[in-house]
Amino acid sequence: MRKITGFLIFLLVFWCSSTACGKVYIDINSPAFQKFPVAIPEFKNLGNAGDEDNLSEWFADQLSRFLKITGFFKIIDKGAFLENQDSSGITAGEIDFSNWSSIGSDFLVKGGFGYDGKNLAVEFRLFDAIDGKLIAGKKYWGKPEEKKAMVLKFADEILMALTGGAGVFDTKIAFVGKKDNSSEIYMINFDGSDPLKVTAFNSLTLLPHWSPDGSKISFTSYKDGNPDCYAISPASGTTRKISSFRGLNLPASWSSDGKKILLVLSKDGNENIYVKHLDSGNLQSLTNDRAIDVSPTWSPDGRKIAFVSNRSGSPQIFVMDSEGKTVRRLTFEGSYNSSPCWSPDGTRIAYEGSSNGGFQIFSIGENGDNIMQLTFEAGGGESPSWSPDGRYLAFSSKRAGRERICVINSNGLNLRVLPGIKGVESFKSPSWSRHLNLY
Amino acid sequence: MRKNLITVILVFVCSFSLIFVAGCAKKEVVKSEVELTQAQPSAEETAQQAQAKKEADLREQALKEQALKEKTLAEAAAFQDIHFSFDNYDLKPEARVLLGELADWLLEHGGFEVTIEGHCDSRGTAVYNLALGERRADVAKAYLVNLGVANTQITTISYGEELPADPRNCEEAWIKNRRDHFIVFPNKQ
Repeated sequence: MRKITGFLIFLLVFWCSSTACGKVYIDINSPAFQKFPVAIPEFKNLGNAGDEDNLSEWFADQLSRFLKITGFFKIIDKGAFLENQDSSGITAGEIDFSNWSSIGSDFLVKGGFGYDGKNLAVEFRLFDAIDGKLIAGKKYWGKPEEKKAMVLKFADEILMALTGGAGVFDTKIAFVGKKDNSSEIYMINFDGSDPLKVTAFNSLTLLPHWSPDGSKISFTSYKDGNPDCYAISPASGTTRKISSFRGLNLPASWSSDGKKILLVLSKDGNENIYVKHLDSGNLQSLTNDRAIDVSPTWSPDGRKIAFVSNRSGSPQIFVMDSEGKTVRRLTFEGSYNSSPCWSPDGTRIAYEGSSNGGFQIFSIGENGDNIMQLTFEAGGGESPSWSPDGRYLAFSSKRAGRERICVINSNGLNLRVLPGIKGVESFKSPSWSRHLNLY
Repeated sequence: MRKNLITVILVFVCSFSLIFVAGCAKKEVVKSEVELTQAQPSAEETAQQAQAKKEADLREQALKEQALKEKTLAEAAAFQDIHFSFDNYDLKPEARVLLGELADWLLEHGGFEVTIEGHCDSRGTAVYNLALGERRADVAKAYLVNLGVANTQITTISYGEELPADPRNCEEAWIKNRRDHFIVFPNKQ
């Protein structure tokens, strides 16, 4: 998707503060959360031109699709609609809200479009269908090819108004795609669109990690024989070698300023955790243990690091401070817990744990309390990665014997399998980008 | 040319001798004449035969060497994988037996090196499995070094869960995939 912020002009039509301000948001991350029921009838053609591209239906369908993907909305089936579209309008005065509240739709989105010269002008309105009040309304002008961006912008408005936070439609998920004995890094938009191959080394290339500004992805590749660590800029394809000691050179999380990267190196015989200062090239040792120490992840404030160690016999998650001191064990349940990923708000750590002979996704409070199992299906789950707003987790899971990238809401609901890519057999090790300002 | 000249002289000398001794020892002279006339091609033949034998020996030697080389290479390629338990890098008794055979062979064949590849089954984390694969390769290397194999003859690499011997998802495949694989090859010198 092209970045079009510069071209798109939007106008605040109404902002009804009575429902939006001081609103107590429903906890959308609670397992008891009930989805917002919303109806999105076809948009009205407000102009004089015909609707050869069937935009009436396109706008309603696309907005429905994006809201559905978020996992927070129940889209009311069109077949249940009672309203006569021809006799109703798109403003509050032209709508009989009982037609909507009576079919269980607490919310209603109405929209209209028309051409203004070469530009497309689109209006969106979100109503509380119970009270019959406008919650949010916007009008956008842009080129016709920017219509997807307009839908995404208003989807963000709806999310902001009802949940207190915008969506993650401008994020990408990087992952490993594998065929036979070769693997590459790929990335795909949050909604499953625009899959893109990032590397082409015809080797084993593994473990992608987005840099915080979204400009680089670190990874390990065997392209020169040894598992060395690199960073690639997906935009230019420029690849830089970060670490190539004998043995393993595995990248882990970046610091939030992008200046440091956590690495696992086995140059001295045991797998230990290091921090590499990218500007100076300095390497600082954080753990020096005979056990396996891998998968370090920084807390969002950079003060703590969670990691995996088998120092107590089996792989378990530990937490230490950023200097490698004051180590404490975090997980005690189960014989195999690994792949920690710190939530963006710093309160929880997602991980994979053994369960009934397989692996499932869990999250645990950063103090070790309140463990939640988030996946239960036979395909299991591995390598969780949080979305930048902490509302979702991407992970890999087996579907019909092949690993696929899946997304769930952080309460474990709304599982979505991302589309496959032609010529790629299996997918794993997802890494979720920050906001990339894609539209 | 020179050989021909000698032959002519010899024939001459023999003819004179024949005239002188003809009366008393005719049979012997005839016999020796026969010997003389046969002696010449015989020397050449001997040389040729020697050459041929030498060549045959060399060929045989080369074939033997080739066979030995092939046998050695076949032996080098025949070292079987050793296997591990889940999330574990302890050497099992049968693995120690195989490593013992490999160590003996490497001690006998100093011109060979081994790359030990450590592998895991697909369960568990890709990252953790890279570390686990490395431990599996390292433990086999340490065992070989303990048996006297030179450090410089051994390299290790971990492929984690990335290159399964059997891509299926079942216990049978997992057992095969938790392994050290040995690549024995002649060193470059």
